[in-house]
This record gives sequence, C-alpha cells and structure tokens, in this order.
Amino acid sequence: MSQFPKLTYDALTVGEEFVSDPHLVTPEDVEAYAFAVDDHHPWFSGPSPFGEPVAHPTLMANQALHLRHGKYIVHAGLHAKMEFNFLEPVRPGMRVRSRGRVIDKYERRGRQYMVTEYVTEDEGGTALVRGQFTQMLIPEGTRHAGR
Amino acid sequence: MPVAEAVAVGQELPSLAKELSQRRIDVYSGVRPRSIHTDEAWAHQKGFRTTLAQGMMSTAYVSEMMTRLLGAGFVKGGTLSMAFIKPVYAGDRLTVHGVVKEARPEGAGTRVVVEVWCQNQHGEKTAVGTASGLAPSA
Repeated sequence: MSQFPKLTYDALTVGEEFVSDPHLVTPEDVEAYAFAVDDHHPWFSGPSPFGEPVAHPTLMANQALHLRHGKYIVHAGLHAKMEFNFLEPVRPGMRVRSRGRVIDKYERRGRQYMVTEYVTEDEGGTALVRGQFTQMLIPEGTRHAGR
Repeated sequence: MPVAEAVAVGQELPSLAKELSQRRIDVYSGVRPRSIHTDEAWAHQKGFRTTLAQGMMSTAYVSEMMTRLLGAGFVKGGTLSMAFIKPVYAGDRLTVHGVVKEARPEGAGTRVVVEVWCQNQHGEKTAVGTASGLAPSA
C-alpha cells in the first residue's frame, strides 16, 4: 500500500516524478466543464473541424495540477503560473493520463514554490497537452495574507 | 474562421464577462472539505475572506476568447501562459481582455500572439499573460 507523506518544501525533490491514473473523458465531463466555465461552444457537443466533438482545450488541466496529490497529502497551496501547449485536441472517449516531473523549487519573499513540467497523453501515448506550472506551498499552521 | 489578413497588431479582442458563482467553482474544483475553493471555513483559516476560484478558471476564459478568434488554430497548436497575481473570490465578476501583439509567419499560416489579462469588478488585474494560435493565410 502506498504511503502518503505530508507535502513539505523539504520533502520535495527536484527530479521526482508523478503520474495520474487514466481518466475516461466522457460527454458528461465536457458538459460539466462547460457549465463551470460558462463556455458552451458548439464544437464541445457537436461536429467540429476535427470531425467529432472536442473538449475544451483546458479540460484536463486539473488532472495535471493534482499530480502531487497522488503521492502526498497536500495541506494547502496556491497556483502561481500555468503554461499550456495544445498539441492535439482532447476528445470524449479518450482515456487520458498526465505525467509530471518537479523541475525546480525555490523560496522567494518568504514563500515556497514548486515548478512541475507535465504532459497529458492519450492511451496510445500521443501527447495532447504539454506545459508547466508553478504552485505555492502554504505550510501547515500558516496563513496566506491573501485578502 | 478568421484568416491571418483579418487580424491586425494592436487589435483589441471582444472582451468576455464571467460571473464566478460558488456553484460554478464547486463544479470546476469538486466539493471537498479542507479546500480553499469550496470550504469557506477552511478558506478563512488560511487567511482569505471567502472561498477562491481556481486560477485555472481564468485560463479557461482566455481559451474561450482565443478559440473564438482562431478556432481550430488554437485548439490544435495554441499556447497559453498566465501568471495569477491576485486572488479571485466567489462572487467576483471578471472581465477577460486581449490585444493582438504580434503576427508572424509560421508554416503555411501565421502565429497570432495576444496579450491577455483578467480584471475583477474593482478594476484590479487578477491574471496576466500571453496566448497564441495559428491563423491560416488566405
């Protein structure tokens, strides 16, 4: 059985890797996402220039962003930066998974950050989205002055 | 779909307005205890005045704006890079803006680069960045 240690700046290692479970993209996922972001483009439910419907390009971003949750208990954090390269459309019916690798960690103005590069792939290993993101760690017992 | 010749550097894109209701945040993030997005008491404990929208919701709004501009050339071949510089709270109203900064040849088309930002109802920028996609030439 996997152990889930608490995520701390010290526990985090540059170079460590994460992988998500595969996720079957369903029309219901696309519909829920359309509601959440209030974007009901007709390509998400009907024919598109790619033939069949496609998903919102950013649909699977949370799969990548949550990679660290598959290995650690994450107390709290804030998302600082996000980069996407949309290589191929995500489509309903695909089974997609994300892989990530910590490429940097640093402290700035008393705050701790981690940088992860990621790729989201279909079941055949075709890269759909690549990019990287920066997350701020909010250590246990502290508050973020975010007001 | 617009062609490269119809996109001009300096052109301001039609803005989008988005209401960040708690219900939409719940659907986006999934309702969980001890989440600054969906658990108001936990958000208070972490120093925020209420729950926050995920920064990623702003990237989705920019994606919508770019798909409206470039269509398939954003869905396949698009890029998006954003920094989240101020929290967005449940109940906020965001306006999403874009201005074309560059149009350069790439392959058989033109890569259109857009400066993008989101602004809350107080006029404060909450996220800034750039996005790009491919426009076919005529």
